Amino acid sequence: MAVAEGAMARVVDGITDRLGQQLIEASLSPPDTLQLVIDPSAVRAATEQLVRGLGARFLISIGVDRRLLAGDFGVVHLFSMDADHLFVALDCSAAADDPRIDSITGVVPGAAWSEREFRDAVGVEPVGHPDPRRLMLADDWPEGLYPLRRDVPYNIDPPPAEGVRPRFAAPPEGASVLAMGPFYPVLEEPAYFRLFVEGETIVGCDYRGFYNHRGIEKLGDSTLTYNEVPYLAERICGICGFIHSSCYCQAVEKAAGIEVPRRARFLRTLLLEVERIHSHLLWLGIAGHIIGFDTVLMQAWRIREPVMWLAEEISGNRKTYGMNTIGGVRRDVPAALIPKLLATVAEVERELTAVRDAVVTDTTVHARTRNVGRLETAWAREVCVVGPPARASNVAIDARLDHPYAAYDEIVPKICTDEGGDTWARVVVRLNEAFESIRLVRETLAHMPDGPVLTEVSEPIPAGRLGISTVEAPRGEAVHAVLTGEDNRPHRWRVRAPTYPNLQAVPAMIQNQMIADVPITLGSLDPCFSCTERVEAVDVTSGAIRVYSRRELASLAKRGGAGR
Amino acid sequence: MWVEVLVIGIKLAVVLAALLTTVPIMVWVERRASALMQDRLGPNRVGPFGLFQPVVDAVKLITKEDLIPRDVSRFLFILAPVVALTVALSTFIAVPFGSDTGLELFGHAVRGFIVAPDLNIGVLYIFAIASLAVYATVLAGWASNNKYSLYGGIRASAQTISYELAMTISVVGVLMASSSLHLHQVVEAQTGTWLGVLPRWNVCTQLLGAITFMVAAFAETNRIPFDLPEAEAELVSGYLTEYSSMKYAAFFMGEYVHMTVASALMTVLFFGGWTLPWIDLAFAGWIGGLLSIGIFCAKVAFFLFFFVWVRWTLPRFRFDQLMALGWKVMIPLSVLNFLWVGFAIAAGIM
Repeated sequence: MAVAEGAMARVVDGITDRLGQQLIEASLSPPDTLQLVIDPSAVRAATEQLVRGLGARFLISIGVDRRLLAGDFGVVHLFSMDADHLFVALDCSAAADDPRIDSITGVVPGAAWSEREFRDAVGVEPVGHPDPRRLMLADDWPEGLYPLRRDVPYNIDPPPAEGVRPRFAAPPEGASVLAMGPFYPVLEEPAYFRLFVEGETIVGCDYRGFYNHRGIEKLGDSTLTYNEVPYLAERICGICGFIHSSCYCQAVEKAAGIEVPRRARFLRTLLLEVERIHSHLLWLGIAGHIIGFDTVLMQAWRIREPVMWLAEEISGNRKTYGMNTIGGVRRDVPAALIPKLLATVAEVERELTAVRDAVVTDTTVHARTRNVGRLETAWAREVCVVGPPARASNVAIDARLDHPYAAYDEIVPKICTDEGGDTWARVVVRLNEAFESIRLVRETLAHMPDGPVLTEVSEPIPAGRLGISTVEAPRGEAVHAVLTGEDNRPHRWRVRAPTYPNLQAVPAMIQNQMIADVPITLGSLDPCFSCTERVEAVDVTSGAIRVYSRRELASLAKRGGAGR
Repeated sequence: MWVEVLVIGIKLAVVLAALLTTVPIMVWVERRASALMQDRLGPNRVGPFGLFQPVVDAVKLITKEDLIPRDVSRFLFILAPVVALTVALSTFIAVPFGSDTGLELFGHAVRGFIVAPDLNIGVLYIFAIASLAVYATVLAGWASNNKYSLYGGIRASAQTISYELAMTISVVGVLMASSSLHLHQVVEAQTGTWLGVLPRWNVCTQLLGAITFMVAAFAETNRIPFDLPEAEAELVSGYLTEYSSMKYAAFFMGEYVHMTVASALMTVLFFGGWTLPWIDLAFAGWIGGLLSIGIFCAKVAFFLFFFVWVRWTLPRFRFDQLMALGWKVMIPLSVLNFLWVGFAIAAGIM
């Protein structure tokens, strides 16, 4: 999509008005990223002008170790001008010997974690940050060792330290602390919420997470090459992995100027929507389980199962499809499979309609979700919430429309918003989106063009280019930024999963709620966990491996006795 | 004298055996029925239709390590499950299972299929004992020295107090209608028809009372939608969090015995015990006695299934919603029922 020249000029003029000479350079990084190099002392003013004056939305900050390239550290604050389909990258330099930069959290509360993260990872100090505690590094990670600096090897393994504890915020006077996590029955991921309670009412909370930090970004710019990263990216998430590989590939394709064949873009769209259907069904089940409605869990997951089989037929895997590569996709969908695809989505639509009707008319479900975990529109914008939680708070953002990718310029989705801002609104939005995804699958199949599915990349990808891509994951907008580098690998690869901004809205959502509302409030954000289901039976004596097929597994379940 | 003790002993043994057998059967029913409702298979490996699943479950629980955490209040921690099971089991001596058909055993009158035939305060006794059950939960919550457990215990006490009021007031209507506290006579009072067409069951004459009683019974048994004391999603397992092995099993059995008690009470108080609608059976001899027991058990079985059915149909309430329902809806309704019965008796239509 061609970027409106007018929008670019408007941004540059707006920033020049405010900064004057402190705007050092403005350039377009094709196709849709406006790079503004500014004097770092003007970062707060520039952010204020972008967010308040020009209506930009903060996405993420990227800390880059550029000492080998330009002799400094870089901090790139990334913004999105949704209406203009434009990304704005605010590029600031931090001195190599004393890396520090003014914090923008005072202007954009949603930048709080990003700034803590670049302090942890590359050691650039955000000056004036309201909560400069450690965010992502383990508590016993040595001070002064910044893992994303280029001189730190990817396989560094500092010795564990004993008796180190995270720094927790003190509870308010008179409140007691109720620990929810790090391991908690309904939150399948490690996340530690310290709830400050008076009776059963929440008066505050503190969060410590990142227990599962796997150093994926570091691997992406140290040991893997461009074409290996998609498979790692896909493993970022066990539920919506395909969005990450798509997003990464698109970022590289943008940076390198690779044209993806039209059929490949349609195939990506198809798989992205299939992934959304199964993810929303999975979420519906979990939400039911959290409020003690296990029948919804079982039914939703039963309906979801054929979608997984469908993915297996298309890609060879229920999850982690391994379909993406830079320049397109690796496998085509045979025409013979299309009637089956259509039959499956029709069946899912029919059954999901029945479940939806049962859920939306259940008065107890209403009682448990209405006015629970309310997120006001204004605060949702401030903390930069994305995806269904944002749309349920009537913030009409959807990466498929804001920055059309894959085939979404032709297959246009209908945005599903709600004004409620509570958990019920998030239920409604996700249910509507599931039906919308079914429609998009049909539309995609109906308009699927012929042709190749992969553009072979023969030229080396030039270094020093910035590619930014967003993908609307089931959980919200994912952002991948790739700064191309030497040696056929990225110099810096930055990933922002949708749960990252959404989790930052939790303290506001659970304030003054009952303890009983916390799990469903968290659940309504759809935090992510892994699902890998494949059985291998290994005969220990002979070493023979027998892999059960789907039919064998199903018949085993019905007959009983895997050992017989 | 000794013969009387022997007869009561036999009755006790039969009732206890039947009750304790109900537990594994109900566990199986619960799992298979929920699977049926959710389009799954459920346990189907052990024995025909997985019928022996509860047996292996029991073996598992018995052989599990019985863990007592270091910082618990040891005596109370052990006492709590004992109270839970004992209380649940001892309510049953006042429940009549069938008609008194004038049978004799060893030359001694059986005096009805009830363990304590002379207990003329039957209803009062059952409620007095059953209300002790909350102590098990509160003690477990307190003794575990765990915040989740304590929350569970506190919730249980608040919940029980709120719902016991509604439950008792709704029962008062029944007692007024039958002018007796003896459950045998409560059943006898429900024979025949009312207004010429309806069976004279209390569920027909005082529907409101039956509904409030049933809702309160769900709350008393801590089942979904009222399983707040052990709400998994919020409180891990509530007061059960620190329990393992047979101590856990004791609570678990207590819950199912409570369900059975509640079902038996529903049957006796509101659904005419062993009587059938419109058909006036004269139960006589062993055959008649067994027939009356059969009818009674069938009704109890229906209510047990009803418990299971509701559990897999409704989500869990939130605690404040549960309390609001108890105080603002159930208690006024039960009082309304009480007034209606008084009016009906005064007007001579009951």
